[in-house]
Amino acid sequence: MKATIEAVYLPLLFLTVALLGGLRLDERVTFVPPPLFALVLGVMLFGVLVRGRVLAPDRLMSASRPSLENLNGLVVILSTFFAATQVFNLVTPEAGLPFLLFNVFLFVLLVNTLAVSPDRVSVLRSMAIITGAAFILKFIVLGAISAPGESMLKRVLYALLEGVTLGTLTQPQLHPAAGYLAFATLALFLIGLAMLPSRTRSVALIKLDE
Amino acid sequence: MEGMGDRSIRVAGLALAMVYASFIVWLYVRQPQTLAEVTGGLTATVGAYRIDQRSFDDGLDLFRREQHEASRAAFERADPAGQDARTQFYIAYSYYRSGWGRTYQDNELFKMGLGRVDKAIALAPGHRLMVDDPGLDMRSADELRAELAEGLRVDASDFNPMRVFRKRK
Repeated sequence: MKATIEAVYLPLLFLTVALLGGLRLDERVTFVPPPLFALVLGVMLFGVLVRGRVLAPDRLMSASRPSLENLNGLVVILSTFFAATQVFNLVTPEAGLPFLLFNVFLFVLLVNTLAVSPDRVSVLRSMAIITGAAFILKFIVLGAISAPGESMLKRVLYALLEGVTLGTLTQPQLHPAAGYLAFATLALFLIGLAMLPSRTRSVALIKLDE
Repeated sequence: MEGMGDRSIRVAGLALAMVYASFIVWLYVRQPQTLAEVTGGLTATVGAYRIDQRSFDDGLDLFRREQHEASRAAFERADPAGQDARTQFYIAYSYYRSGWGRTYQDNELFKMGLGRVDKAIALAPGHRLMVDDPGLDMRSADELRAELAEGLRVDASDFNPMRVFRKRK
């Protein structure tokens, strides 16, 4: 079972996330490679995963493991990194002020998570909140602002953002299926993170001699 | 026995991940638009792609009878994945002939022609494409590309009245 998860399920899961993270549906289908800053965020997220013991690299690659197992481990590590990068490519708006604001917001959140040295469960919760918040902002809030016509949400946002030129916030109109696809991709990513070989914080019970 | 099973799973998983990762890289590099382009591109990668010869012949016949829009439809049918350099060359040539005018040319058609001839050059082995067709004045993709690019360029020669005597190639 361990071999199946490590050699088959995890690489396929994360590679699927890497594939879908850059997929953009429009009049034509395009595959968008990650911007450079997504690579930076991907490295930081990878650091958070290792520091939070969600991913234990030594359980995937070490001198005590046979070379085939180390190769499988390397594939898992690389595919996790590419999936993390593509997740940021997916939840970051395409251009303009929102692109800048989202990147700053994600960067600060990841720096903060790195600084507090959280445990595994906290990191997984934090990942769900970061990706979920970015998903809501991009696909629901910005999607509503950028959609043609006058929806209830759009009127509310106009009222809330009074004084801000909405021209700087609007994004290319999203395909109706884009949000569903993004949701499925993020769910796959979080499932993959929960399946990664982790390391629990070790606790020593010491009995003091009386 | 269990060890052998694990080893097989690990080898199969590794191979599967490699193939899948290569496929993803290929998708990002080639940017296929339709399922036909995906399957055509993959078969072309292994050298198994074939155009529909009957549609190609129809297209060629229409091209020679100066029915360029109809010829393009037939050529597109012959090469739905856009993987055959020769067919892409003829499509580009038909855009050139459709867009050519004695006093002006249609820049939109020339741009589409330029896109297709660039694709033909990219697909040709060694990026060199010669089409041995006596009905064509330009038999190499480079000549066609230069003619289309020159047509899109605005320079002093565009205002030369003698231009009306130039010949369509």
